[in-house]
Amino acid sequence: MSLSERSVDQKTFRCAVLSVVKHAYVPLGVAAHPRFEPVVVADDPAEPGWVHERNEEFAAQLGIPYVRDVERALADYDAQVAVVSSQAERHCDLSVRAANAGLHVIQDKPMSTNIAECDRVVEAVEKNGVQFLLWNRNFLPSVIQAREQIVSGAIGVPYAVHVDFYFSKDSGPPKGSRQLGDPPIDWLTRQIEAHSDGSDGGVGKEPMGELEVEGIYPLGYIRMLTGAGVTRVFARTAAHFHQVNVDNDIEDLATVTLEMERGLLGSLCIGRIGAASHPDIGEIKIHVLGSKGALVITEARPEVAIYYRDQPPKEFRDVRIANQNDFLLMEDFAHALDTAGETILNARIGRDICATVLAAVESGRTGRPVDVE
Amino acid sequence: MIRLALVGCGPGASAYFPFLSRLPNARFTAVVDAERERAVHVGRTLDATVDADSLQQLLSRAADAFDAVILHDDHGHRQQHIELAAGAGKHVLVRTPLALSTSAADGAIAACAAAGVRLMVGQALRFLPSHQTVKDSVAAGKLGAAGLVRIHRWECPEGGLTLAQDTGESPLLSRAIREIDLANWLFETLPTEVYSVGRRESSDNLPHPDYVQVHLGFPDGGMAIIDDSQTLPQGGDYYSLSVIGSTGAAYADDHHNMNLLYRGGTPTAIRSGEGLEHIRAQLAEFVASIQEEREPAVSGSEGRQAVLVAEAADASLQAGRAARLVGGRYELV
Repeated sequence: MSLSERSVDQKTFRCAVLSVVKHAYVPLGVAAHPRFEPVVVADDPAEPGWVHERNEEFAAQLGIPYVRDVERALADYDAQVAVVSSQAERHCDLSVRAANAGLHVIQDKPMSTNIAECDRVVEAVEKNGVQFLLWNRNFLPSVIQAREQIVSGAIGVPYAVHVDFYFSKDSGPPKGSRQLGDPPIDWLTRQIEAHSDGSDGGVGKEPMGELEVEGIYPLGYIRMLTGAGVTRVFARTAAHFHQVNVDNDIEDLATVTLEMERGLLGSLCIGRIGAASHPDIGEIKIHVLGSKGALVITEARPEVAIYYRDQPPKEFRDVRIANQNDFLLMEDFAHALDTAGETILNARIGRDICATVLAAVESGRTGRPVDVE
Repeated sequence: MIRLALVGCGPGASAYFPFLSRLPNARFTAVVDAERERAVHVGRTLDATVDADSLQQLLSRAADAFDAVILHDDHGHRQQHIELAAGAGKHVLVRTPLALSTSAADGAIAACAAAGVRLMVGQALRFLPSHQTVKDSVAAGKLGAAGLVRIHRWECPEGGLTLAQDTGESPLLSRAIREIDLANWLFETLPTEVYSVGRRESSDNLPHPDYVQVHLGFPDGGMAIIDDSQTLPQGGDYYSLSVIGSTGAAYADDHHNMNLLYRGGTPTAIRSGEGLEHIRAQLAEFVASIQEEREPAVSGSEGRQAVLVAEAADASLQAGRAARLVGGRYELV
């Protein structure tokens, strides 16, 4: 049975969207699959006004109610799946509450910046026998191609994997722009402002560096392509581009040496490198060395180049096409629900990736290799 | 006119053949190789009139026939050859690495300084058109402050995977030193932190890893990460260099420069290469530095710095610890 055939005439799942404060790509991605139907948006009543405004706006966009009480919404709307897309520091708590209520969980990245919070999710998911999917990009066309080549044995057994993951987005004023007497840029204020241009990936009270905001994506690739967990890291981190990162003592550029299970090696280069540094969303590449060959993959492909007079300078010149990532993620999730199998990026793998990120942040601060817990 | 002696006519010597007519201020007058037939062949091709079995023999028989040596020899004779040439008043262009240890590099630098001759390290990668373009962009400030240098170098070992042999030298000092030098050059300083890992991929019996990764931390948050693999199957190699700066970025990548060939079945990627211009440019720089009585673009001192970092990377690889720059030396931490 093919993926598309499998989704015909099968059970649909009612979804409760638990907070939607970012650019809504996760709940919209969920809604893109015919077997998943958002039925309610819910959040805790004590959340600040801007959170409620965004929740209400999204609920209105989908034509579904907004309830300022998570537990009541879960009980009243007979939801089977929770979609968590809140401020980062609330991700795990909302996921745990949903899992304890018997709902399967789809959670936005990052999983957390606190490993104990990740452990709570793993425990809740496993105790309640529910499925968990950490949102990721593992089904982008080129990533699928990389996986297919590896699975086919085209390059033998992979022994080293390198990912470049640069987002050519700006993040407020450039480094060095703060004038004498100016207050430091408040993280949350900046993230709320950044909602308009979609660069609010780190929304939350707690400042997060690029490793924490985006590290899940490249580390998700590496985990999927090798099946190996990271055991030790050495990292360099810097606030190189943006004043908000300088003011909040968090990196916007990092390199990480990865030592992995089975002796695999790898590396990660990651950064929010500024809109001027790439004609598109950023240079994102996967390099894999194997016992019989190697792969060089550009994540953005396939794409179409579009140029025209008076083109806005920040509009991407290359447009990604044939991107079925959202649908395929949800197809994978549905398959896990149907078969009680595992999702492409489950709670335990998400927790391991969080541990890798936190070890890299610590290594960047200490200048020493750090074992991954 | 600068008269050149090519010492070592093995693989790679042919890279000089196309440039005879493009070096107006220099010509080859002598060649040296232990294999006489090879020396004669290369000598004829380069229009050199003198050949010898060894540098000692050349110096004893025809020291007046040349002004400078190009040491294209293997690493084992390098220090001896530099000291011999310098002692005879000959300028020296030595293929990277300058030496396999900083103490040997110091000896080479001291010998050339005492003799008043130029010492240039043959780091041809710096002269690649792509690297020159990237460096020019960095130097002009177009990219802002350099923040990250990423280099992949993947090659197939001579003879292919099944015949892979280890030269007995640390891959960090014999191979990755080329990319280490590039990182030093682009950041224009020494790294403050060095960490290295490696793997014996082709065979557990190799005395040294055939795959290494080097992670460098530079002042002001700069960083570089290099991977060097000698495990590709027989065929083409792969190279990629990118620089991420505070206001821009540069991507010099084989992947970007591939064309497609269709002959049935899956199309084949064919690289639009950079040719051998970097060899000519390096030789021209060496000759110019002699004529203009100035330090060459890749001085002995810079060659020594690359050796220093490569040594630290080797120590890090052995110890599984990071090395930190303290008072001009690297210490494991």
